[in-house]
Amino acid sequence: MSTNDTAAPILSARGLHHSFGQTEALRGIDLDVHAGEVLAVMGPSGSGKSTLLHCLAGVLVPDGGSVTYRPAGRSAVETSALGEPERARLRLSDFGFVFQFGQLLPELTAADNVSIPLLLAGTRRPEALRRSRDLLERLGLDGLGAKLPGELSGGQAQRVAVARALVTSPAVLFADEPTGSLDSLASENVLTLMLELVREAGTTVVMITHDARTAAYADREVIVRDGAIGAGYRVSA
Amino acid sequence: MNPGLFRLAVVGSRSAYGRLAGIAGGVAVGVCLVLLLWGGANGLSARDDRGAWLRETGRPAVAVPAVSGDPSASGPATPVPMTAGTVLMRTNPVEIFRDQLINRRDFAALSPSTVKIPGIPAPPEPGHYYASPALQRLIESTPRDQLGDRFGQFAGTIDDSALPGPDSLVVITGATEAELRLSGRASLVSDFTTNPYGGSAAAYNTVLLIGAAAVFFPVLLLISIVTGLGAAQRRERFATLRLIGASPQTVSSIAAVETAVPSLIGAVFGVVLAAALRPAAAQIPVNGTRVFEADLATGPVAASAVVAIVVLASALVAGYRTSRAGIGPLGVTRAVHEKTPTMWRAVPLMAGLAAMITAVVIIRVLEVHLPWLESPLLIGGFVLILAGIVVIGPWLTQLVSRTGLRRARSAAAVIAASRIHKTPVATFRSVSGLVIAVFVVSVFAGASSVIQTTEAPAARPGLLQPTSLHATVGTGHTPARVLEAAHRANELPGIRSATIGYGPAALHERDAGPEIFLRAADAPALGFENIPESETVAVDASLLHFWTTQPLALSPAPARALEGLVPVVMVLGTDGTPEAMDRARTAMNSSGVTAIPATSPMDNKLQSSTRLIQGLAVLAYLGMFLAVAIAGLSLAVATASAVLDRKRVLGLMRLMGMPVSVLRRIITREAAVPLLTVLFLSVGLGFLVAWLMVTGIDDSYRVAWPTPDYFIALGLSLLLALAAVTATFGLIRGNTAMAATRFE
Amino acid sequence: MNNSLTLLGLLSRGPSYGYDLKHSYDRYFGAGKALAFGQVYSTLARMVRDELIRALGEETGGGPDRKKYEITVAGQDRVRAWLFTPDVPSESLQSELFAKTVIALLLDDDAERLLDVQRSEHMARMRELTRLKRDAGLLQVLMCDHGLFHIEADLRWIDLTGARLTQLKKELQSA
Repeated sequence: MSTNDTAAPILSARGLHHSFGQTEALRGIDLDVHAGEVLAVMGPSGSGKSTLLHCLAGVLVPDGGSVTYRPAGRSAVETSALGEPERARLRLSDFGFVFQFGQLLPELTAADNVSIPLLLAGTRRPEALRRSRDLLERLGLDGLGAKLPGELSGGQAQRVAVARALVTSPAVLFADEPTGSLDSLASENVLTLMLELVREAGTTVVMITHDARTAAYADREVIVRDGAIGAGYRVSA
Repeated sequence: MNPGLFRLAVVGSRSAYGRLAGIAGGVAVGVCLVLLLWGGANGLSARDDRGAWLRETGRPAVAVPAVSGDPSASGPATPVPMTAGTVLMRTNPVEIFRDQLINRRDFAALSPSTVKIPGIPAPPEPGHYYASPALQRLIESTPRDQLGDRFGQFAGTIDDSALPGPDSLVVITGATEAELRLSGRASLVSDFTTNPYGGSAAAYNTVLLIGAAAVFFPVLLLISIVTGLGAAQRRERFATLRLIGASPQTVSSIAAVETAVPSLIGAVFGVVLAAALRPAAAQIPVNGTRVFEADLATGPVAASAVVAIVVLASALVAGYRTSRAGIGPLGVTRAVHEKTPTMWRAVPLMAGLAAMITAVVIIRVLEVHLPWLESPLLIGGFVLILAGIVVIGPWLTQLVSRTGLRRARSAAAVIAASRIHKTPVATFRSVSGLVIAVFVVSVFAGASSVIQTTEAPAARPGLLQPTSLHATVGTGHTPARVLEAAHRANELPGIRSATIGYGPAALHERDAGPEIFLRAADAPALGFENIPESETVAVDASLLHFWTTQPLALSPAPARALEGLVPVVMVLGTDGTPEAMDRARTAMNSSGVTAIPATSPMDNKLQSSTRLIQGLAVLAYLGMFLAVAIAGLSLAVATASAVLDRKRVLGLMRLMGMPVSVLRRIITREAAVPLLTVLFLSVGLGFLVAWLMVTGIDDSYRVAWPTPDYFIALGLSLLLALAAVTATFGLIRGNTAMAATRFE
Repeated sequence: MNNSLTLLGLLSRGPSYGYDLKHSYDRYFGAGKALAFGQVYSTLARMVRDELIRALGEETGGGPDRKKYEITVAGQDRVRAWLFTPDVPSESLQSELFAKTVIALLLDDDAERLLDVQRSEHMARMRELTRLKRDAGLLQVLMCDHGLFHIEADLRWIDLTGARLTQLKKELQSA
């Protein structure tokens, strides 16, 4: 396991609180994510998993507490203190995202979908398309680059989403139920290929799942219950 | 069907209320406009009917017997006597006050007379007049020497039933028979025509129908766009209904009812709105005069018909669209694939052009007159072209987007071009209103360029000065009397000169000469330079024609040439102020020596703008404004729904770090590409169609370069498009925020 | 399922007769498989020998069922150690975990922690199996999957039980 207790964690959350109206989604969460580890965030529906992920990824600014991101070779930033434009830039350059479904633009081909983050980052289109096709090939999608999302199976579409999340070589990959709408074999395929790529690149992964078999791909898991890290949380041996 | 299911379908969720309100609001605006336009068309036609009597020209008041054996020669004219059943009428074509044309009719009648002159109880006594209320107000508020003296004694007002509108300036004056016969311009009238358009009725109706189609089409597009609001959300909901066992027919009928209910509410509201706006609409001047408010009323039958048609049509279209969408129990899980537009989409446009060209060929080349064929060809062709532009748009858009996609470099360009390429019909629908508006504006601009007002002539030496008025002198007036009238006029404030021209006989007589003789001393007052060194000079009589645009030169005339000549023309030079002009006009016309009403070179401008077809130009600009406004509204609505339909995926893109500015650029491109693609086609077609229409109606008309108004309208349309798209930017930020990405 | 530790756990609620112990056991865990008296007494005897429990003063006409037993301090330690030591995930685990949960609730101890500890153990085992799969042949992958699915079933039971602890406790206490 690449968890290194002596190095400072790449992401650390301290005392996170967040509410949606009357509903308290997070009530005091402390969490460290170490560089290169694959962390599974488990917990029942409505426990606050997604809110935690959104706070860690700088999508949401928590009502209370702080999130610090320590990129390799750069100085640490408190993402929870940045404005939306800075956070958006950070998300684009340093983070990747995979969701359960419906994240591909239906009118774009698979290769174009994957190339969008590169184009946003200023890469020229031919170069972006070449890198997209390479990555699609590594995910076992050779020759499907010209297909539209509607023409792909669920598992293939999810692998395209993984390619899009990884095409910019992000430092942290955030996955929210990445295999939530797939059958066992398809989800195993997606997970195996995804984790192969991230372990090779040393990408840190924060993955929400309620599925134990998916969580078993992680190095460790935390359980969120009623907006707090579950009592059973401990770094497993 | 289960009423509970209906309730569920119609007010399914809170978010549905926004969509329902959008449909109701859009339909209300549409129905209100339809009713006001309908009322306007009715009003104009009622107005033209009431004003028809002013077109009566009567029969000649003199009989000219042909000389036997010589068809080219004619005998001396003999007056046709007046009877109890006829009156003598004289029309003054240039009764002008300031810059307004007054419809003046002078009548001489026997007493008693059985002729009924519209709007007044009996023909006025000589020296008395009946005026329309608007004119009477004008007379009373103006010094008499500028206006009132022209007509005499006020006898009463003309009834509204003989007036086109509340602002109409009409005067009916009484005159003696001798006075009218002497002028040589009187005609005999026994009754008044009721046909407002004379021989051009068919052409006029054709133009009116084409104008109506041009204005109604954008309204229909608006209604069609608002009823399609929130289609994506609706598809999901219908899929759920299918899953719990509703048949495709049930879902279709739910869609129909769901659209019909807000449409009905909107349509009824539109009727109320139209009634409320009627007084305001009546204030809009069309062709120089407002419309009587009562003319704009459409009546309950028309209103019910519009409501019924709109509700029925929107319900049927919604039902049909839903059944076409093929919603299964598993919903539309995959992107809805539009059928790729093909070249067949060019067919309606080509057919429309062919129809209009055929009509023009029949009229102009074959020179056969087949009104039963021409009008349907022109109108049908026009409607086909309107529909054809909407039909061909997606195909052209797709052609452009294919190239665009290959050349796209930025993320926004790739996303926008891909969407347009895959859904050209949906993206083009957003801008179809604006494209149609531009087409309509171009047609109107092209058509109204033929009736552009003629520029007022500049003051040039060798021509009559624009600030001068002239009138020919009647037969039998002694030089002394004419001279005295000229002196009297010359003493009025603002009048600088009074010149008399001489000739062998009054200008409308056979013995009139080709030249007019003047005292050389008077020549500078007429604006002449290079005056020959002689006491008397001569100038060609064409000096008096308004179509003379080349300066004329004076030639020296033998001394004492004026002896034995009679005064033929009086010219008053003024300081150019409207008061002086009107004073001069009043003085000349009431002098009793002039044979024609005083005219100024400026009058031609006013006269040309009073052609019948000019009324359409105002209607055209009104139509332009409506079309452009509606189109802007449609674009905003369509762009908003394009954002709403994709809020989840766009929200996820933002979550991944795509800046809002990129989203804005995507939305802007999606509107700009189809708009610009078809815009030039619209402009070109608009002018082509205008030319076809105009040449089809009358070969004396020419299409000219459009006025600045056109470019203003065009620029306004583009600005409006920009505003419509910008207005949705707020929506982008709000609807692609975190909440939009939650899995529900 | 470890009968002796379960009986020891029941006894840690307070001194009890062997006869009553058997009936308590049957009520909570003996559905369709009641404990024999003989097994109860031999177990009790063994635990007395191991000094986990001790018999209180014998009453007149005393057979084994007339004897009252009490848990010793060593016995109490033994019960707690049992409760909070996760078991190796296996197919037969559920009844044992079930017994532990019930005992913990009866003793008013932290049943949630017990479940969490077991969940961690399960997850660790699943991770191990998942890692094994990475470079394994299909046959071994299928074997690992078999294990993974069974452990997952336990985990689901743990999750569900965890969500129902409050309700379960109420039911046990009112019984």
